[in-house]
Amino acid sequence: MKTDAVRGHLDGLLLAVLEPGPLHGYAVITAVQDRSGGVLELRTGTIYPALNRLERLGLLHSKWESVGERRRRCYELTDAGQRMLAGERTAWQEFTTAIGSVLNPDTAPAATRPAT
Amino acid sequence: MSADGNAAGKPAPADPIESHVAALDATLHGPVRLKARMMAEVREGLTDATAARTAGGMPSEHAAREAVREFGTAKELAPGFQRELTVAQTRHTARAVALTAPFLIICWLLIWTSDHGPGWQQPGAARLLTLPLAVVAVAAAGAAAAALLGLAALAATGTLARRLPTPRRLPAAVAWSGTAVGIAMALATLTLGVTSALTADWPLLACAGALTAASHGVVATSARTCRRCARLPAR
Repeated sequence: MKTDAVRGHLDGLLLAVLEPGPLHGYAVITAVQDRSGGVLELRTGTIYPALNRLERLGLLHSKWESVGERRRRCYELTDAGQRMLAGERTAWQEFTTAIGSVLNPDTAPAATRPAT
Repeated sequence: MSADGNAAGKPAPADPIESHVAALDATLHGPVRLKARMMAEVREGLTDATAARTAGGMPSEHAAREAVREFGTAKELAPGFQRELTVAQTRHTARAVALTAPFLIICWLLIWTSDHGPGWQQPGAARLLTLPLAVVAVAAAGAAAAALLGLAALAATGTLARRLPTPRRLPAAVAWSGTAVGIAMALATLTLGVTSALTADWPLLACAGALTAASHGVVATSARTCRRCARLPAR
């Protein structure tokens, strides 16, 4: 999937991979790639300003942590981030259901079909 | 062997990671601390990406070049980083204006109350104060308006931005209102300096003038950086 298509969903992707626990920037990148089976293409450099923005909005909290001789900035979800992730999941479910109903009308749930 | 070359006199190949960080760093402007933090994170991320490749058997220099290629070019990434730096600088300027604008209002109150104090009973003293009062009153009113804009900007770029898009022209608006407040503070400093030289209450007014001058330094510097950030492309 191309970078432009992924960009609109980047916030939700980042929040989702941080749900199990804190990660540093490169671990966030590999988590997105691993979970998507390598299908999602994104410039890895776009992750860092996105993480910074989510922190500014109070959805993430970050701090420097030492790992051996290296220092890495680790991010974790805040309570507001958890709520935002739940909202993103609901919105995505509704979106994919609606699009699926149009693209595959035969498999659409009966409740969504208009009465004739 | 020279510090920057090998025995054959050829320049040593630049470290791809450091070259990339330097190229990105050179295109960005904004708060020094945040920019340094961002560049440190980029360096760490590229180092991690290189280490992951070398662990898979790739030669280190090739691994570093691959990590940089996957990261994206400075031209591709700069607007995203600059957007965050511009918002951070906007918030810095807005905060500076909101915190220092009350000084101007206090200065106006100082001159106003000095007018009615025991040191101001001589004939003509009230007339002498009319101009400084007017100058500082106009400056204080402008600063109060800018402070309100600053508070609105802090809200619009903070948690409110979870639901509402941040206006694209907000950084420029805050930058120019900060510039106006900086000019108002310079005028107020001058006015307080002149007034203190003419009054018996000079220590208080001189102290207020010094504080206003310091506020001018903070606000004008932040507004200048904010104007520069607001002119740069951001996404």
